[in-house]
Amino acid sequence: MSTLIKLEEVWKIYHLGKTEVNSLRGVNLEIESGDFVTIMGPSGSGKSTLLNMIGLLDIPTKGRLLLKNKDVTKRTESELAQLRGKTIGFVFQEFNLLNHLRAWENVELPMIFQKIPQAIRRRRAMELLAQVNMANRADHQLAELSGGERQRVAIARAFANNPELVIADEPTGNLDSVTGQKVMEILLDFHEKMGGTLLVVTHDHNIGGYAEHQVFIKDGRIVSQDEAFGNK
Amino acid sequence: MVNNLGEYFKIAARNLKMRSLRSWLTVLGIIIGVFLIISLLSLSEGIKETINRQMMSLGGNMIFVMPGDDSNPLAGMMFGGDKLEARDLDAIRRTEGVKTVLGASYQSINVRYNTENKALTVEGFPLVEGADVLRKFQGWSLSSGRWPSASRREVVVGMQFGRDIFNAPVQPGDQLIIKGKKYTVAGILNSLGAKDDDSAIFMDIAEFQDLTGQQRGTAQIAMVQIDEAMDPNLIAQKIKDSLRRVQRRAYGSDDLHFAVITAEKVNDIVGGVMAVIQFAILAFAGIAILVGGIGITNTMYTSVRERTREIGIMKAIGATNGAIMSIFLFEASIIGFGGGIGGTVLGLGLAAIIQAYGQVHPLFYFTASFSPWIVIFGLGFSFLVGCLSGILPARQAAKLRPIEALRKYE
Repeated sequence: MSTLIKLEEVWKIYHLGKTEVNSLRGVNLEIESGDFVTIMGPSGSGKSTLLNMIGLLDIPTKGRLLLKNKDVTKRTESELAQLRGKTIGFVFQEFNLLNHLRAWENVELPMIFQKIPQAIRRRRAMELLAQVNMANRADHQLAELSGGERQRVAIARAFANNPELVIADEPTGNLDSVTGQKVMEILLDFHEKMGGTLLVVTHDHNIGGYAEHQVFIKDGRIVSQDEAFGNK
Repeated sequence: MVNNLGEYFKIAARNLKMRSLRSWLTVLGIIIGVFLIISLLSLSEGIKETINRQMMSLGGNMIFVMPGDDSNPLAGMMFGGDKLEARDLDAIRRTEGVKTVLGASYQSINVRYNTENKALTVEGFPLVEGADVLRKFQGWSLSSGRWPSASRREVVVGMQFGRDIFNAPVQPGDQLIIKGKKYTVAGILNSLGAKDDDSAIFMDIAEFQDLTGQQRGTAQIAMVQIDEAMDPNLIAQKIKDSLRRVQRRAYGSDDLHFAVITAEKVNDIVGGVMAVIQFAILAFAGIAILVGGIGITNTMYTSVRERTREIGIMKAIGATNGAIMSIFLFEASIIGFGGGIGGTVLGLGLAAIIQAYGQVHPLFYFTASFSPWIVIFGLGFSFLVGCLSGILPARQAAKLRPIEALRKYE
């Protein structure tokens, strides 16, 4: 297995007025291609910040971030956008779909930015929606879909460009437990079928149980499970 | 990025479709500006064309001699005063390159038709001697009746007599009492292209001079037809020299009291006046469009703020700065171009209505010009304004960092 993502002494410092907030304090982490990794930690521990770094949505204040052994810390925003579009798919807690588009158009959007021809886009969007059991709702406006359905559309969108890495930030956080479990099953199913790396931020220890690797974070540092959740 | 512009255009168009009343009000701002430009330009262009057409119908090889001076020929025409004496006309006639000289005079005279009295312009023209020139080079033609003969007291009348100069339309064979004398209407002319000519009575100049007491052989204005092979400006200069010689002999003075104008020069004067008018129109309408453009900028800024999250999502799933910039620029351009189309349609519509009104109303004589250039200008300009107005907001949208754009929503 090869290393997909490597973080070397990564720091992220925010400035809130005059106060400095150290969101990440020297994180070292390696994620192998094809792994299923969960990141867990209490609120405010820095897990979302870590996820944003790995997802190339944010850049470290200090330290290096390597994607497939290439330093991406100094890339321009447009280069990062290209990399994101090609290699990474996102599933957000609050879905982050475009409300004025139909379900299939949301799935199509990442492919537009990768310049994939229209005919292929439409077909692939339909296939992906079929895989999340949304084929019959493909033409629906987002407002007509339930939370669970929206998250399934978001999952289909995340896999649109055959990404090497899918990042899910509390994907079940806005769903009831039954729906959440279904969504999680679909996500894992996708991971198994399509390969690639899956990174999930979650509060849910059950999900952590499925993972090949579990990363725990507290106060901006990677710690053991016991340290993270105070089982001293 | 280049090959993806079509897709970004579609996204932009789809975004606009679901936008609020505000977008439509922004479009309205541009519509008003373009509407102003298009309607005023096509009318002023139409007026210019009408005048040019009249001048051209006179032929490029006509020269006018009238009292006044070169710098202000219109004043001489309006206030009269001096007239061309027989010796002046002779001098013009003898000038090299001159083919025919036609003297003409005009006066406002009381005219009676049936029981109605009206003060109308009566023009003395060389109807007999100059019939060919008038018909061939000035485009005179009869809509009914026949050309008057020299031996009888006959007149031809302008097109408006067949309509509404008097309560009842005048017809060939009818009688007009001009200064107490009876004249028979021999024929009615087709339009000469100007309202006052179409409302005038034309009689032979000899008859006119007998009627008004003006000395025979003189004229208020002379129309000179010249050799087509020669340069009108050169002959105009020669006519001036001839007239100056006469002047010197008669009065011992070199001051020339006549304007010698070529058709070309009349065009220049008209062109100059119209250029000033059109410049003013462009300036005012330009300001209107500029205000519309600021409206677009404002709408786009608001839109960027409202859609921060949407921009963040698009960036997260792979939209580059260029893609975001393109989408927002397209939205602004579509607003501009849409306003341009609306304004053009309305502007041309208004010009057409004014023109139609001018055709039936005796006081107006407006024509409009519907040249494709005006349309291309209106659309092109509004598109450009849209683009320019969109640049700053689009840059702001493109520069948003995805993480901040997404966080704002949370």
